[in-house]
Formats: sequence, C-alpha cells, structure tokens
Amino acid sequence: MTTTVYSARRIVTMNPNRPFATHVAVRDGRILGAGSLEELKGWGEVEFDTRFADKVILPGFVEGHSHAFEGGVWKFPYVGYFDRTTPEGKAAPGLKSIDEVVAALQAHEKTLPKGASLLAWGFDPIYFGGRRMVVADVDRISTERPVVIIHSNFHVANANTAVLAKAGITRTTNVHGIVKDASGEPTGELQEMAAKYMAYRAAGVEIAAVLSDEQAVWRFARVAQLAGVTTATDLHNELPDSTVEGYLKASASDDFPIRLLPAFAATAIPPAEGVTRLQALVKKNNDKLRFQLVKIVTDGSIQGLSARMRWPGYYDGTPNGVWNVGPDDLDRILLAYHREGFQVHIHTNGDEASEVGIEAVERALAAAPRWDHRHTLQHAQMADAGQFRRMKALGMCANLFANHIFYWGDIHRAKTLGPERAERMDACATALATGVPFAIHCDAPVTPIGPLFTAWCAVNRLTASGRTLGEAEKIPVADALRAITLGAAYTLKLDEELGSIDVGKRADFAILDDDPLSVPPEKLKDVGVWGTVLGGKVFEAPKA
Amino acid sequence: MTAPIPFTVIGGFLGAGKTTLLNRLLRGAEGRRFAVLVNDFGALDIDGRLVAAHGGDTVALANGCLCCTIGDSLVTTLLGLLERPDRFDHIVVEASGVADPGRVADLAVLEPRLSRDGVIVVVDAAEVRARAADRRVGDTIQRQLKAADLLLLNKTDLANDLPALQVWLGTQSDAPVLEARHADVPLDLLFGLDRHGATAASPSSDTFASWSYTWPEPVDRDVLLAMLREAPGEVLRAKGIVRFADAPDRRSVVHLVGRRLEVGDEGPWGDTAESRLVILGLKPVLGSLQRE
Ligand SMILES: [Zn+2]
Ligand SMILES: [Zn+2]
Repeated sequence: MTTTVYSARRIVTMNPNRPFATHVAVRDGRILGAGSLEELKGWGEVEFDTRFADKVILPGFVEGHSHAFEGGVWKFPYVGYFDRTTPEGKAAPGLKSIDEVVAALQAHEKTLPKGASLLAWGFDPIYFGGRRMVVADVDRISTERPVVIIHSNFHVANANTAVLAKAGITRTTNVHGIVKDASGEPTGELQEMAAKYMAYRAAGVEIAAVLSDEQAVWRFARVAQLAGVTTATDLHNELPDSTVEGYLKASASDDFPIRLLPAFAATAIPPAEGVTRLQALVKKNNDKLRFQLVKIVTDGSIQGLSARMRWPGYYDGTPNGVWNVGPDDLDRILLAYHREGFQVHIHTNGDEASEVGIEAVERALAAAPRWDHRHTLQHAQMADAGQFRRMKALGMCANLFANHIFYWGDIHRAKTLGPERAERMDACATALATGVPFAIHCDAPVTPIGPLFTAWCAVNRLTASGRTLGEAEKIPVADALRAITLGAAYTLKLDEELGSIDVGKRADFAILDDDPLSVPPEKLKDVGVWGTVLGGKVFEAPKA
Repeated sequence: MTAPIPFTVIGGFLGAGKTTLLNRLLRGAEGRRFAVLVNDFGALDIDGRLVAAHGGDTVALANGCLCCTIGDSLVTTLLGLLERPDRFDHIVVEASGVADPGRVADLAVLEPRLSRDGVIVVVDAAEVRARAADRRVGDTIQRQLKAADLLLLNKTDLANDLPALQVWLGTQSDAPVLEARHADVPLDLLFGLDRHGATAASPSSDTFASWSYTWPEPVDRDVLLAMLREAPGEVLRAKGIVRFADAPDRRSVVHLVGRRLEVGDEGPWGDTAESRLVILGLKPVLGSLQRE
C-alpha cells in the first residue's frame, strides 16, 4: 500500500471546502487528501513525486458528449480547415484551400493498395470564400479508385467520377441531396442520405464495425487523454457484440487512459429488448467502462437545417427540420427506460425539440414518479429561459454545445437563427441563473475534443470571425471549469466518484502547464496539457 | 447482371396501419420472397407459425421471406441485406412514422441493384386531419402525403366524413387513393406484377381487377402514355414490355405505380412476339380502357 504525494504549483480542487491546495495524496488509485504537505503526512509514510511541481493540477476533465467514432475516423486522413491533434499526439495541420486538400490526398493516394477506396474526413469548405469542391477537384486525386471526402458535419460528402459512375448518377438522376451546377450536371457534392449511402458503398458496410472496434476506441481514448480528459462518453452507440467486446478488452488494459461511458442508442432495438440488453451490459461494467446511459436523438442539426424549430423558424426561411424520433415515439421510448431507472440523454438541437423533450420527461414523471433521474437535454442549443426554468423544475440537466459558438456562430447569426437567437444560443449564463445543472461539450468528432477550448468558448463566446456572440451569456472561468469537471460528472451521475479533488474520489487529474484561473480568460484555450492521471496512473501526453 | 430488385417504401404516421399491411404481405407472399425492413419488431408481431428462424435482428419465415429490424441506420441495414447470399424478389421498407418516405425511396435510385417501385403512404382516415393540423408533426404528415405515389386510406370505417376527407386529401397529394379497412387490399396492387410478368391473374376482389393488353404491332408511345396518365385515379399499377413505334428495336419497360409513370430501356427487342401491358385498378376504368 503505497501512498504517493504529488506536489504542484497549484491544485484547483472544485471542492469549495478547500478550493486550492499544494499537495495531493493518492492511495490505491483514489484521493487520500488534498492540502498542505504537513497535513498529508498525517496519513503515514508517503512517497514524494515532484514531477508536477511546476504544473497545475485540476480534476480530470469529463467530456459529457463525444463519440468514440472520433477514434474510428482517425483511421482515415483528416482534411479539415482547423489544426487538429492525431491520436499519436502529432499535429494535423488545417488545410486552407481546396488545392491543399487535393495535394494532401494525392500524396495519401499513392500509399493505398490497388483497388482500395479512398476516404477522408473533416473537410469544411465554408471558409473558402464560397468556392465549393467539385468532381474535377476530386478526380485529380484519382479517377480510378472510389474517392469520398466527408465534410466536418458528417452529413455532406464530395465524390469523384468513379463513385458517381458506379451509382449511375448523371444529370437526369432526380434524388434529394445530389447537388447540381447551373448547367444541371452533378457537382459531386452529396448531402444527407445520398452522402451516407455513397460513403458506405465506397468503404463497404464492414466499415461500420471498423469505426467502433477495439483499435478505434483506443485511438479515441488517446485523443481524449491528450486533451486532459479522464472520462468520456460515447454518446450514441447501438453496441453490437463486436463493439462491446472491443470496449471490454480495451478497458481491461492498465494502459487504457480513460473511463468510457457508452450511451445505448435507444432506437437500435425495441425498448423492451433494449432495457434487457442494457441491464445485461451493466453487469459487465468495470472501473473504466460504464454502461448506464441511454441516448435518444429527436431532431437534426441547426447548421444542417434539420433541427426542429419553434415559431418563427429559420431566419432565412428554410422550412422546419425533421424528426428522427418524433414526439409519440419519444414518449414511448423514454418511458420504457425511465421506468427501469435508467438515465436518458435526449439530443435536442432546435427549441421545438427541446420543448418536446421537456414535455416527454414531464409525462414520464407523471406516469412513473422518480427522484434524481437527471434526464439530460444534449445540445439544447436554442433553449430559452422559460425552457431552462422548466428543466429545473423537473430535475433535468443540460449539456450545452458551447463549441458551436466558435465553429458555426457566424452562420447561425447570418442565416439559420438570426442575431437575436444566435446571441442567446448555448445559454450557459441562463443555465447558471436558473440553477439547471449543466455541462458543456464538443461532440467530437464534429468538433475536436478539447474541454479547455470548450470552456474558452463558454467564457469568451467568440466566433471564428472574431465576433462576440451574446455578451450576456458569457460565464466566468471558474464556472466554465466546473462545467467540464464536476458539472459534467453530475450529468452522468458520477459526481460522487469523479469531477473534483476530494477525499475518497478517484485519482483522476488533468495536469496543466498553467493555471487556467490565472491566465487571461481569452488565453484559456492556450493552456497546455501535460497529460493526465487516471486512477493514480500517470499518462504523459507525447509532445507534438 | 441480374435484374434489379423492386424496392417499395411504406410510409405513414404511427398507428396508420403500416404494420397490419406488412403482416398481410408476409402472410400472403405466395412463393415470392420478400425482404421486409421494419422499424420496430415489437409491433410487427409476426405469426409464430410462420417463423422459421430468429437470429438477432432478423427473422426468417417458412415461406422464404425475411424480416430485418432497421435499428439505427437504414443505409447499413439495407447494404447488409444486399450483401447476403440469398436473393429476394422484392424489398419493402417500412419508413419510420416521421420519415419522409420519398427520401427513403431515393436509395433505390442510388443503388443499381435496386429499382424504385412505389411509395405507398398509409393514412389513418380517423386521425390524419387532426395530425396534419398539429403544430409539431403537421408538416411531417404533409411531407409524407406529398411524397406518396399511392395513398392507402385505411380505417375508412372510422372516418366521420369520408367524402370531405377525400376532397382534402386531393389538396394534399396528387396520388390516387385506395380505400381500405384493416389494410385489406390486394397485395399485387401494392407490390407489383413482377412475379407474374405481364400475364397477371386478376386479383380477386369486387372492386379491383386487372386487364391485360397485347399488341402485335409497334405501339404509339404518346397514345399509350397519355392513356395511362389520364386515368390516374383508377389505374393504380401497370407494367409492360412494349415495342414503341419510335424505338422498334428496343424493349421499353413501362412502369406505373399510382401517380408515378416511368419508361425504362431493357435492351434490344429481340424475338419477343408482341407488346404486353398489364394494368391493375379499380373496376370501372378497366371497362373504359377496354373500349380504346
Ligand atoms: Zn447530438
Ligand atoms: Zn453527438
């Protein structure tokens, strides 16, 4: 029984009784105490570890809404506009023009075996001054093998001639989602179902398993760990046996660097069977793998114009979005899991979806009263003060998509929501004021996993163009840090075990190069992550 | 290459009767192998005597049909089905109660192994107008009605003003309306003539009938297509292999489901003796077509 005492420049505990400390003692993977050296010596013989002496220790970050799919897509080249970090800790620099994307993929193409398809992901043409990628661009990569470049939103893709020809897509093809130019020719850009179908056709159906296998979850865990994350969700997974096996294997390894919480995709099988399946999965839980969450996706996305909006709808007049799970089915599915004591996370982007989610919880509670259910609206991007008050009254939580403000805030202001509603989207200050327990998230791989960046978004509310979007919804740094630690842990019902540095909790830490409470708030995202500690085991991040 | 598999989408709101219809289909398949992709097994409740094997998310029936749960992704479920070694005569997808069935049918246009057959939207005669006025799902209902090639107006016994409902449906959709109770309609009408080719036997019903045409000489394209277009209320389905006068060397395939009429090309005419066309529809119209 060794007790290790780590010294640090500062320890930010999230424990209001002792908010800061200089030393933390760890025994058996748990926190023995945080305080001064003198105090901790009272526990008996200790070993000193001074490697964090000039670092700042925070509770390990908790990513309440991410997808292990992030690890899946890293099997393929990233061609996004913004810099990203690979699972190996290498920089994947952003590509700033269509030519750069094409050049990078031309080089990649030469490494592929004959006949193999080429897939890439993360492409984001909105920063290229209106120029879209066309089939001629993609054909420069290859005219023979199928090439599919998936956009950062995962709902749009660009394809080459080989892909279009195989599917028989021509100017006469009359299918939703096949973009055509002014002369009526397909441009190679595919949207929604057409994009998804072509990507799977090019890659083969077995890609679905590859995207969530053991290797994928390892890559996901590494990407998360590099960002200081010690607990992350895989917030929508059908959990086929192959995936469960991979997760069990990975999480059994001492070197697996995160605690993983998959959320069962409630529409995968009928609720009655799903409940039984999840109950069986819970029995397989270990320290680093927790089956306990359920996810239901109600609407689409705001930027994809598929979110369900209340009146007056989209700013640019686009018709209302689509339901994935409509109000009737939501009631039925939610109630089935609610009755069995599960916590349900409900994806709602538009405010009509949030309203439907709130009312479904209200009805479930009337049908089967239950304390401390913590059903959580995921995203709840357009929720207004009234909806937050209802969430509070019903005992619900919110996990707000603060990263959206940076990545899509300009578009929401100009096109989808208009200035007024864009300024109050992802309303962290309203959540604080109404007392709704909340987290903030990245939705990786939609945006890169990075809790400090997410916190920076909630604090500064700056868009990619540098505009401040919604002064009144900014929150203080301390609250933002809480939202990526204890606040997120609360939305996962793990706050008694994780999320703060407190006696008896798991020794999960984020080790930072600087003190996020002392740097200027606009520098929050630049605070370096040295690595993490998970259950007392140190994971140093490779230097980029 | 083997002929593409006809692909039908059944749309309609929760409770309209999609499940009843699919159950009828699976019971009445008669030698045709259907693969049915459903949203929720629980509700389908397949007759236990029919079930031959139950494995995970698929149920194989003794009559050769297969039922798969769509689960979370229609795209992967469908591709998985197409990769199976067993071949099916027809694939039917039950769209979710809030899906746009027209978008689902697009898959058959993108997939060369499939041919888009019809979009059949099942409508609950008692509920549809209230649903269509609902502020949260009204637009979804309207999109479904608009996407239909053929409307199956179900539960007509529960409608309180059927004529008014018919008029209203006419403002929502161009598709012909087939009335039914308990989704009881001749299956050939909905799922085609492919088993029989162009020699369909009449579906047994008081109100529906089939008519078969043959022409030894090449057929005038405009006359034939105009005839089919102009009787859309009563002609519900047609399929033919036709030698058109303007393309006498080609096998032209005429395919009509409800309001949707398509003419395809199946290669050279070859040595087939005559053009054939089979029409299924409501009885009165067949009389008038016969006169032409
Ligand atoms: Zn979501
Ligand atoms: Zn998500």
